[in-house]
Amino acid sequence: MVIKKVKVKNEEGLHARPSSVLVKTASQFKSDFYIRMYGFKVNGKSILGVMTLAAECGSEMELLLEGPDEEEAADVIAKLFDNQFEMESS
Amino acid sequence: MTQKPRTCHLKGIAASAGVGIGKVWILENSKITVRPEKIDDSEVENHLAKFERAVGFLTEEYSELKNIAEADAAAIIEAQLLILNDPELHLSIHQKIEQENDSVVYAIFSSFNEYIKIIEASGSEWLNDRTIDVVSIRDQLIEAAEDKKRELDVSDGAVVFASEISPTVMVKLSQIKIEGIVMRRGGLTSHAVILCQSLGIPCIVGVEWRPLNINNGANVVLDGSSGEIVVWPDPVEVNSYRERERMHLMHVEQGMKIAVKPHKTKCGSEFSLRANVEFLEELPRIKAYGAKGVGLLRTETILFQKKEFNVEDQVEYYSSVVDASGEEAVTVRLFDAGGDKLLDEVEEDANPFLGWRGVRMLLDKSDLLRRQIEAIYRLSGLYPKRIKMLIPMISCIDEIDKVKHHCSIVREQLAESNIPFDAEMAIGIMVEVPSIALMAEMAAAKADFFSIGTNDLTQYTLAVDRGNEKISSLFEPLHPAIWKLIKMTKNGADKHGIPVSVCGEMASRPAAAACLLGMGIKDLSMTTNAILSVKSLLCNHTLDEMEQLSRRVNRAETPGEIHALFDAFQRE
Repeated sequence: MVIKKVKVKNEEGLHARPSSVLVKTASQFKSDFYIRMYGFKVNGKSILGVMTLAAECGSEMELLLEGPDEEEAADVIAKLFDNQFEMESS
Repeated sequence: MTQKPRTCHLKGIAASAGVGIGKVWILENSKITVRPEKIDDSEVENHLAKFERAVGFLTEEYSELKNIAEADAAAIIEAQLLILNDPELHLSIHQKIEQENDSVVYAIFSSFNEYIKIIEASGSEWLNDRTIDVVSIRDQLIEAAEDKKRELDVSDGAVVFASEISPTVMVKLSQIKIEGIVMRRGGLTSHAVILCQSLGIPCIVGVEWRPLNINNGANVVLDGSSGEIVVWPDPVEVNSYRERERMHLMHVEQGMKIAVKPHKTKCGSEFSLRANVEFLEELPRIKAYGAKGVGLLRTETILFQKKEFNVEDQVEYYSSVVDASGEEAVTVRLFDAGGDKLLDEVEEDANPFLGWRGVRMLLDKSDLLRRQIEAIYRLSGLYPKRIKMLIPMISCIDEIDKVKHHCSIVREQLAESNIPFDAEMAIGIMVEVPSIALMAEMAAAKADFFSIGTNDLTQYTLAVDRGNEKISSLFEPLHPAIWKLIKMTKNGADKHGIPVSVCGEMASRPAAAACLLGMGIKDLSMTTNAILSVKSLLCNHTLDEMEQLSRRVNRAETPGEIHALFDAFQRE
């Protein structure tokens, strides 16, 4: 099991498109993926789940990964948060 | 309801040309009512199957839409697809059907609502943000599970008033003969607008119509070329709109006649009008407007759509453009984006137009450059003799050598791997920086052709930022200095016998196009919408007249003189 702390850096928070990118990326890995935030825990491969977090800019959350490719998945997903989900800043 | 109808004039942004005369039909999202309903154990399998079918059906429908949608719309559809196939949602619906014996419809309804409630309670902007319309997906899924697709009860002759129109609804509307569309939102490049244009449906956007209490069924006329709308028009107005409609249809009809005419001046001298293409949606217009292939294929869109940006994706994308161009040639321009648009680059240029962009950026990102060159060469193997490559933003001669060096490496690699390519594929450069226009003769020794980009050439020559409103009147593509640079470019090219084309906005102005022909530049590429009006003028004049015009233009001292010459020419 890998646990990684990340922070939402997008100005608009974990909005429509960032969530899509997150879920789509996470779904490519075999490992189970959960996000923990303020005591909530949602399936990171579920876009509806991610939407219920309503994570704003600056929100901190933990990524929980477990499975055969957990390390790689954690790295790739954490990177998404860092580079603001590869969105154009506009 | 019996209120006396009062004529009401509205104005919005003209988005798709044409005149519509019909009755108001207000597009509202109809509400679905669902009652808790239990099923027998024997029905469980059947209801599970219904759910799977509904998901499959909508997934297919959305996937198809995604293929025809532009980048923005495609991202929205992508998000809808993720919701449709959300694993937690599926789990919840399955459980409700299998363990609680809920009907499929109620299982969908209540599962979605659990999420919707949390999202609503979170006070997040999600529900206001129409990017992902969870409620609409819920309702669509319910309809699909009930096996009755909601038909829009729009009838022929309707003028649809909406806030905005989703890609799905737009596709449905396009199957009915509607008279026009009025939207509160929706930009000129939105999916709905692009579809309207290609279907010839008049469309006006940016109209705040809701406070006016317009009733369903009210008489309405609209003009998609001017952005005018009249609700409850008086009979005189209706007649004037009928007249406008007649004129519009006549223009379209004449246009279509012009589209099939040969590309020849009145005296029989040949020229070529080609299409500038940026989006796949524009492809049908290449043939419809009789363009001779694509003179400028912008490739920025694919870069922004496809993050991985691999060679195969590019070849596929470019191929779809070549396929839509009949037997004609297609000129593919290397990425002409500023470095700030690249995803992994954080720094922003203080002045992007004078900064790290076009070939300057590409030469620093040789990976990106090589992959694009490889894709274009592979394309040339698939469509021999029809592909050309164009390098943007050249300002120094040695940049041509550097790009060509990359080309030769790619050719060697392809040859080693036995992948077919056209070794003779022409490699040309954009002439859009004044330095290259001034050095045209030397540049012509290195390039296979020139393509003049008049917008950037104007901006760089006149020191005018197009985006700055205070000086927008100084942005004058018809400035005599620009014509001098074009002439120098043409003379330089002639010394080495290489062809010159113009792909900037200038070519899309009919009289300017005539002047270019007069200067011996007979290969023009422009936005497809401009092709018919340019062609109409060129077909109605002789080359002699155009040469005379260009001689006068070359003697002009001010933009005003040139405008006057052009106005007179168009009146002739």
